[in-house]
Amino acid sequence: MDNKKLWISFAFIILALFPPLFLSQYWLHVMIISLFYVMMASSWNLIAGFTGQVSFAHAAFSGVGAYTSGMLTVYLGLPPWLGILIGMGVAALLGFGVGYLCIRMGGIYLSLTTLGFSEILRIIITNEDQWTRGTMGLQVPGFFVEYSKTSYYYLFLIVTILLLIVIYKIIHSEMGLTFRAVLNDEVAASSSGINTVRVRVLAFAISSAMAGLAGGFYGHYLMLITPDVPSLGQMFLVLAMAVIGGMGSFAGPIVGSFVLEILSEYIRVYGEYHVLLFGLIALAMARFAPEGVVGILRKKWRREWA
Amino acid sequence: MSEFLMYLTNGIVIGVINAISAIGVSLIVGIMKVVNFAHGELYIFAGYFSYHLSVSLGVPPLLAMPLSIFFIFLIGIGMERTLIRPTYGDEMYSLIITFVLSIVLQNAALLIFGPYPQKPPNLVTGAMNIFGLYHYGNQRILSFFISIGVLLSIFYLIKRTWFGKSIRAISQDREMAALVGVDHLKVNMLAFGLGAALAGAAGVILSPIFPVTPSGSSSISLNAFIVVVLGGMGSLKGCVVGGLILGILENLGAAYISTMYRHIFGFIILILVLVFRPWGLFGQKTQ
Repeated sequence: MDNKKLWISFAFIILALFPPLFLSQYWLHVMIISLFYVMMASSWNLIAGFTGQVSFAHAAFSGVGAYTSGMLTVYLGLPPWLGILIGMGVAALLGFGVGYLCIRMGGIYLSLTTLGFSEILRIIITNEDQWTRGTMGLQVPGFFVEYSKTSYYYLFLIVTILLLIVIYKIIHSEMGLTFRAVLNDEVAASSSGINTVRVRVLAFAISSAMAGLAGGFYGHYLMLITPDVPSLGQMFLVLAMAVIGGMGSFAGPIVGSFVLEILSEYIRVYGEYHVLLFGLIALAMARFAPEGVVGILRKKWRREWA
Repeated sequence: MSEFLMYLTNGIVIGVINAISAIGVSLIVGIMKVVNFAHGELYIFAGYFSYHLSVSLGVPPLLAMPLSIFFIFLIGIGMERTLIRPTYGDEMYSLIITFVLSIVLQNAALLIFGPYPQKPPNLVTGAMNIFGLYHYGNQRILSFFISIGVLLSIFYLIKRTWFGKSIRAISQDREMAALVGVDHLKVNMLAFGLGAALAGAAGVILSPIFPVTPSGSSSISLNAFIVVVLGGMGSLKGCVVGGLILGILENLGAAYISTMYRHIFGFIILILVLVFRPWGLFGQKTQ
């Protein structure tokens, strides 16, 4: 990481410490949810943007994390942090299994199977309501003895920053290099000795584990887990955030998450239209500006500085 | 025994309609390497079109059906021209775009048609005694024969006509096909329209039996995808055999094991295929 980038990130982190001092409880809630989406969209981008594989089970894996941790804390009395760690492990294992089965057959198979996985998970959660409370939602304990949005904000901030550091390290490591080699030219990558399938399965399992982690924290923040957490609607939001922000770039999903989450608070009064609106924006972006908002800004700046 | 035969018949009837829907997906995958995630939404739209044409506008149901399919064909052509064509060669963007499109269409359906299930009128009423063993609804029997008719016409179209030859040429070798003068852009567009129309055909045939709702679209897409993987990507014969297998297993499973888990049987099949025979029943083993 060069010096300029380091200072910019540092400035952002310092700035991020202040919101609880002046934001209302309501907007603090919006910020916490945005941080959750930053984790989701960034970890989805790790496989879609950097290895070119489109998973439709990212929300489902966050649901695996949320429900595993939720049920462990409710029925076995485990502390939330331990529940989240186990939930993350379960998501990683399932991700590895799905990835192992599909990825050798190609990207189309992964997309089809992850879509099926999402649907099946939804059916199981709604039907096994003696354990999951179905559509009523599962009430789970929170992280702190005394409920405070400020504490949750700092907790989410720390976890998000740690997750982003891990993602940054992966992208800029040897493994990240092989990711991009696989994305750019699969044949060339495999002929230069990279095991393309193994790289992709690994990336998929890591990214699924991250979704499980994000989902675990999300559940213990909301304290009520419903089948909306692993729904395809949620999956679409995460995907739209990454696409609109800019896939394949580190900053894109971060920008996209904040923009879409804050925007959806403003247009909430119009009811469910925001999904339709985001869908149309995402289609237009994918069609005309696949590098997203971040890509457009970057180009503009480069032109002005040159 | 007669109960078992009835579930089996249900499975076969649903199976041939599954096959029509799956061929719609398979054609597009075979030629363009594009999976249309908005397939189920096109099916739903066809069901609603058929309902509104015949109930709200008073068009005779037998005319409303082909008319709805034709509208879906036009929608498919429009989708290909505006959104899909620029993504050729970029598998990732085509997957993302058709997925977003499915969410957009699903919400549009909710907005236009409302959340309530609708069913177009039956073409026939009553039931028939099958070989003195059990009674079976006439509408289902008619749906079965219409589906067989649709399947036979697709096979004729693909195996016997110039259009079908171009399709097969392109899916075997795009560059060679272009060299011998196949206009692949035009064939792509028509094939995408045809794939969409087949989703529409399945929709208008099945919706009088199972009403359509906007939220039901993803399981319809998923069923078609499972059949395509089971039969083998790009194989038409595979779609027919796969469609029948899925239809029969789902109906017997729902009847004897669990109704709530009806859709899980399909997913189990998908996983088993991926484990034991990932190229499917009639697919070509590559790599």
